[in-house]
Amino acid sequence: MTPPAEDTEDTAVVAARPRPRRAVSFRDAGPTAALLVIFVGFAAWSSQFRSIDNVQNIMDAAAVLAVVTCGITFVLMMGSIDLSAAGVMGASALAVALLVENNRNGNDLGLLGIALAVLLGAALGAVSGLALVLLKVPSFMTTLGVSAIGLGLATLMFGGVQPNISDKMLESWATERILGFTYLTWIAAGCVLVGWLIQRYTRLGRYAFAIGGAEEVLALSGVKVAPYKVAVFTFAGAFYGLGGVMVTSQLGAGLVQAGEGYDFSAITAAVVGGTLLTGGRGGVLHSAIGVLLIMVLTNGLVQVGVSPYWQGGVQGLIVVAAVAAAVIPQRRRNQVVK
Amino acid sequence: MTRISRPLAAVFGLSLAATALTACSEGSSTASGDAGSCDPGDVKLVGQVRNESNPYEASWLDGGDAFAESVDLKQERLTYDGDSTKQQEQIRQLLAGDTECLVMNVLPNGDSDTTPIVKGADQAGAYLVTQWNKPADLKPTDYDRWISHITYNGIESGQQIGDALFQAIGGSGGIIALQGVLDTAAAKDRFAGLEAALAENPEVTLLDQQAANFSRAEALDVTKTLLTKHGDSIKGIWAANDDMALGALEALKQAGMKGEVAVVGIDAVPDALTAIEDGTMTATVSSDGAWQGGIGLAIGYCVATGELDMADVSDEDRAFYAEQFLITDENVGDFLTPKTDPSEFECDKVFDRVAGPLS
Repeated sequence: MTPPAEDTEDTAVVAARPRPRRAVSFRDAGPTAALLVIFVGFAAWSSQFRSIDNVQNIMDAAAVLAVVTCGITFVLMMGSIDLSAAGVMGASALAVALLVENNRNGNDLGLLGIALAVLLGAALGAVSGLALVLLKVPSFMTTLGVSAIGLGLATLMFGGVQPNISDKMLESWATERILGFTYLTWIAAGCVLVGWLIQRYTRLGRYAFAIGGAEEVLALSGVKVAPYKVAVFTFAGAFYGLGGVMVTSQLGAGLVQAGEGYDFSAITAAVVGGTLLTGGRGGVLHSAIGVLLIMVLTNGLVQVGVSPYWQGGVQGLIVVAAVAAAVIPQRRRNQVVK
Repeated sequence: MTRISRPLAAVFGLSLAATALTACSEGSSTASGDAGSCDPGDVKLVGQVRNESNPYEASWLDGGDAFAESVDLKQERLTYDGDSTKQQEQIRQLLAGDTECLVMNVLPNGDSDTTPIVKGADQAGAYLVTQWNKPADLKPTDYDRWISHITYNGIESGQQIGDALFQAIGGSGGIIALQGVLDTAAAKDRFAGLEAALAENPEVTLLDQQAANFSRAEALDVTKTLLTKHGDSIKGIWAANDDMALGALEALKQAGMKGEVAVVGIDAVPDALTAIEDGTMTATVSSDGAWQGGIGLAIGYCVATGELDMADVSDEDRAFYAEQFLITDENVGDFLTPKTDPSEFECDKVFDRVAGPLS
């Protein structure tokens, strides 16, 4: 059986270039450098910013976005796009809030409830992937649709009364600390590590890269691409599901809007970190840097006292400047807008 | 192939567009029949809000159902997911049907969305009550079937909770403010109310103000950041809505400062009421969503059936600030379950909650 060659979306077929074996090459150091410069800049400016408390704060605030970005990175590496995060997170947030101990029903499933919510996220991700490969709907549309489905499910589960969680374990994720960081931050760090290991050492991760770089070549060499695409979307969905669970832990309640804005902030973070929208480049570690960069910026602007009326604009300006500075060493990165 | 020169094409295109536009505006009002000729059983009630995924708008539609039930009708519940295009589409579909006895109680998505809704309804002869959003220069008195516009004085509510907050912290100390979406009237007015309260209480200092966009999650992060920035000098947190107040409460809990800082919000969402009841939150303001959902339909129903004559409705009642209620631990018990009082929807009482004309 020949693999379907027609479901290539971005056939930006580039000649295979020798890629350094190291995970983070010198060329990818741009975002990291930008992160350091911005961090040192704020630290020099504000003594509050460089306090231990505030650094903990930044890490805690970055946790959810890091997990979501980790998931979206795999999709972006493939050259697809994923806008389903908001809906998937809303659905899993409501699901977990109704499955663990809460004020709406008698459920008290604990960890099992959390696992089920993550599974729900994975299932929604799988729907995106299947619609992409079976129905040949572009990922932009399928994931937008799945986001709407997720929000619809969440609204049904919401049913007019907000479920507040009273599950001790889930609540402790946001409040208990190990070595100064909340459990949520450690979970996020774990996710980044797992994501990186998968990206680097499993077939799934490598093929995701290869699909983004040159899907046709991969297909011609006898690899069935479709199952890997579905797997990547499922995997990303699981990460969004976990993100929804984490938001629920932070807020102490299941909100339909739990994932609001995360779809685009995650894509922004990934791109700022050096993951290309055309696929084939970047990775989980890049994205993690991107997340930190955004979070340091958001926090720093408040700490140094930039007026809220200016913050949005200033933040946008710095992000654009940081990305521009980071891509100067590599003209190729501009290919998205060429 | 013939080619027309570009300027000529432009002129041609423009004149075509102009013709099309004139054709549109020539359509005269199709309003048939006089106001007030509907049989009560023929009235069709429609309530339209953004979505049912928040307690406030869910209670709005429930209030509409409660009114509809009291007159043996059913309310059609419409939601448009905060999407202006979708709202207009739903309105167009409604107005394309039988509009003679149609009563609509609408929450327009934004100020500019009100204009086409009003014009469409007026032309189709449907009875319309709008709430919260309208452009300042668009006035119900200029239309026959746009009966009333109801909104709330955000300056007043911002000041009310500000005063309650200052009282809770003993009249002096530092506070922080969490603003809503900065370019909305609600955010601006409520913050202006806080500033007014601050002007009267020079002992209270506003340490910092940040936008958290009416969002619980953003308020959580912003409050955590501000807690590290200002530490113990924060005695109180003023939030422009309850969602942000609840996010701030969560941040205090995570920082181990639960109960040490007074928090106020606006909207009276159920979780905020519970928080006021158990003492973690100080005050909120209720616009009474269930009443809003019922009253718009009630006003329309009364006019449609002729029980209320448009001639008797004063200009002040056609665009007004409705009464709102400050909720503290003293009266929270009365508000814990949203309920409507059918007597408030009687035709001679529908304007009882007018607190003042819209300036």
